[in-house]
Amino acid sequence: MSDFRQTPWVDRAKQLLDESAAGLDAATVSRLNRARQAALGSRRRGPLLRFMPAALASACALLLAVGTWHRYHVEPGDEAIQALSAAVGKGANGTDIDLVAGDDSLDLYQDLEFYAWLDAQEQGSDS
Amino acid sequence: MTQAIPVPLSWMPERVDASPDERTLDQFLKSVERRALRMAELATGNREEALDLVQDAMFGFVRNYAAKPSAEWAPLFYRVLDSRLNDWHRRRQVRSRWLAVFTRDPEDDEVDEIAQAPDTNDPGPLLRLAGNEAARDLDAALTALPLRQRQAFLLRVWEGLDVAATAQAMRCSEGSVKTHLSRALTTLRRALEDHA
Repeated sequence: MSDFRQTPWVDRAKQLLDESAAGLDAATVSRLNRARQAALGSRRRGPLLRFMPAALASACALLLAVGTWHRYHVEPGDEAIQALSAAVGKGANGTDIDLVAGDDSLDLYQDLEFYAWLDAQEQGSDS
Repeated sequence: MTQAIPVPLSWMPERVDASPDERTLDQFLKSVERRALRMAELATGNREEALDLVQDAMFGFVRNYAAKPSAEWAPLFYRVLDSRLNDWHRRRQVRSRWLAVFTRDPEDDEVDEIAQAPDTNDPGPLLRLAGNEAARDLDAALTALPLRQRQAFLLRVWEGLDVAATAQAMRCSEGSVKTHLSRALTTLRRALEDHA
């Protein structure tokens, strides 16, 4: 195997391969040039852009983990109730929120139209 | 007057200018790109796919091995290219198996003895190699080789890598390189020389 360099047909084959590589058309050479420049350009861009997808995926996973943790570890305590109570203008003791959270209050709101009609009927009969 | 504060090199994410090592890298890629394309073309039989594979190999080489000493670049570049060629062949084999399930024709299994018989008017390989169709004949002989044998021949004989570098490029032992090359030389010699 070591004497293949002295074999005439191997030399001829190398020559033909060299000729085929040297005789590439201009369009192919141009595409090779563009490919080379693009590869070198990727090196210039450095690791910041290279690892951008991984960084984005890590950020999303972290955000999801924090959100999940926050949901199960922060109870709907006084701050949320007071803020909601203040928003509906019923004071800061959370009474209205308790009413809304109760089963009876929900029934009331489900039949709200009926109670409104009933109230209107009563007002009409009073007058 | 404000004095510019030197920025430590470790803080610089990139170098926009064409540094000397980048010029060296450019020259190296330029020196191997045509041969790499011909190798990929012989492996795929398609110039477009060969161009894609060479570009992919360039990106992989620059990304993973550009920081290595330039003396190691050649086997490392061909290692990346060889990996891309192997991946391409694996994908094609999987695709061919699926296609064969649906398109199998019993007549495909029959060997055409007339087509296999040697041409008695053939002037022989050396004369053919001197003719206009020499390159085409060589391409056909190389294309008919198994991928590993062809790569061993091209890297060792054409690219001029030594046995150790060829083994590094092909990710196999030096003994495997010798075996692949020996078989390739035998087959090519039979195809290109023994018909005389």
